[in-house]
Amino acid sequence: MRKHRGWKWSALVALVVALVISPLYFIAIGGFMSTEEIFHKPPYLFPPRPSLAYYREAILTLSPYIKNSFIIAFGTLLLTLLVALPAPFVLTKFRFSLKGPVDFLFALVQMLPYTAVIVPLFLMFTKLKLIDSHLGVMLALSVFLVPFAVIILRSYMISVPSGLIEAALIDGAGYFKIFTSIVLPLSAPGIASVAILVFLLAWGSFIVPLAFIKAESMRPLSIGLYVFIGQYGVEWNKLMAGSMIYTIPPLVVALLAGKSIVAGLTAGAFKE
Amino acid sequence: MKIPKVTLFLFLLPSLALIFIFGLYPVVYNVFLSLKDVNLITYIRGTSKDVGSLNYRAILGDSLFWRALYNTIVFTLLSIVLQMVVGFLLALLFYYEFPLKGFLQALVMVPWVMPIMVSGSFFRWFLNDNGFLNNLLATFGWITEPVRWITLERVVIYSLTAVNVWLGIPFNFILLYTGMQQIPEELYESADIDGAAGWQKVLYIALPMLKPVLVATFVLGCILTFKVFDLVWIVTRGGPGGASHLLSTLSYSLAFDRFQFGKSAAVLVLMQIIVILFVGFSTRIRLEER
Repeated sequence: MRKHRGWKWSALVALVVALVISPLYFIAIGGFMSTEEIFHKPPYLFPPRPSLAYYREAILTLSPYIKNSFIIAFGTLLLTLLVALPAPFVLTKFRFSLKGPVDFLFALVQMLPYTAVIVPLFLMFTKLKLIDSHLGVMLALSVFLVPFAVIILRSYMISVPSGLIEAALIDGAGYFKIFTSIVLPLSAPGIASVAILVFLLAWGSFIVPLAFIKAESMRPLSIGLYVFIGQYGVEWNKLMAGSMIYTIPPLVVALLAGKSIVAGLTAGAFKE
Repeated sequence: MKIPKVTLFLFLLPSLALIFIFGLYPVVYNVFLSLKDVNLITYIRGTSKDVGSLNYRAILGDSLFWRALYNTIVFTLLSIVLQMVVGFLLALLFYYEFPLKGFLQALVMVPWVMPIMVSGSFFRWFLNDNGFLNNLLATFGWITEPVRWITLERVVIYSLTAVNVWLGIPFNFILLYTGMQQIPEELYESADIDGAAGWQKVLYIALPMLKPVLVATFVLGCILTFKVFDLVWIVTRGGPGGASHLLSTLSYSLAFDRFQFGKSAAVLVLMQIIVILFVGFSTRIRLEER
């Protein structure tokens, strides 16, 4: 066992962690203050006259964008899982001649910058009528989330016992049956990690909706928050209230499923 | 194990189709775009003219491009080195067992889970000329004039780098922390018997044993940071006067602010060449490691 430290150590670490996450605190209290109070010198560490008005207004203004964000995040999650799940099964459990190139392909696509596909995709989507459509955003997001998911899932599916699959084959089970009734259930923790990571990344996505969604009614929160950054200056308090609302779902997910996030990130990073 | 070709194909089809149609085809398409004079009107009419290397010559003759290239290199390298230092120090703190460890570790992930639009907007306010940071420094009497963190051309890229370091803390922390867990405990115990000081254990045991992890974190960090777009776009949009453009924001701005898709594609092709060179170079490093 590692050396134990007491509460003093906890206090030290807590102080450092508080410093790291302090932006979240200032965003949260910014939503309770007037613009003058936000820019007050010296800066307030607590809202002097907290008001719920800005949060209330932010929720009202943002509700259509909140809906769009949920549609995009869950749609992307579904699409990515559907497309990504079958590949790691055959990549980890079977030998075939093109395995090397296929592996390389997934690694390569994951390294591409988003900006590299945004311009050509924009032109393609313009012809395909996928601009201002949630489906277009989901497809573009999946391009990078699918390889990401495949790479993480590989490290989970590789530990499914091959003996189990061989036995099932001898018993006459089909590959699809083996995949759905043995491989998927046994890699459930990996699938959960991937699902959480994909949801978080799709929820926070910025460049894809920025480039592909021009219609106000279709925008997710990331772009919708720009309503508070108008031509005549920024409504900082509403922007911060809106930011806080936007952050709550991923924050809840992170605090409830922190272990899965960490497991997924490290599995994806140290593979191969 | 062997698998019938048809079954294999069916399992790979969904992901490969998606990657080819919406990932690799666009990348190849970029190369063609970069050789044409494309804007939205000529594109929709299908009348874009071939211009040979004109886009490339225009880009390479533009000081904005060289500025963006310089910024990208400074931003990437500085971010990675600082992120790894901060991540390592944090991992050292978390190396021990202590009350509330799990909870505090979950909280460290906050910069990673916050949507980039949120952290970007926050730092736009935080680094504003009359924003939080300047107000705080003035309160302590450390400055008399506001420091123009994001409005002064010389300074802006360093401010953005600092923000990016903050954004990278969770990822670097998690990788290095996981790496530290793999180091056998006996090494520290025998060092204890030899009377090694804490810093000696870090310097002579932890760091050398972590080398493969450090290399992996560095390479991954470079690839991730090289593509950063959102942070800069949200905080400065590449301004003031293009001083904070990265290659990614420059190409985006060429395409969607000025509708010069051909030039934008030329920047992207150059960017991809850099990525390919780097990936080739880094896999060579990793092979030599073994």
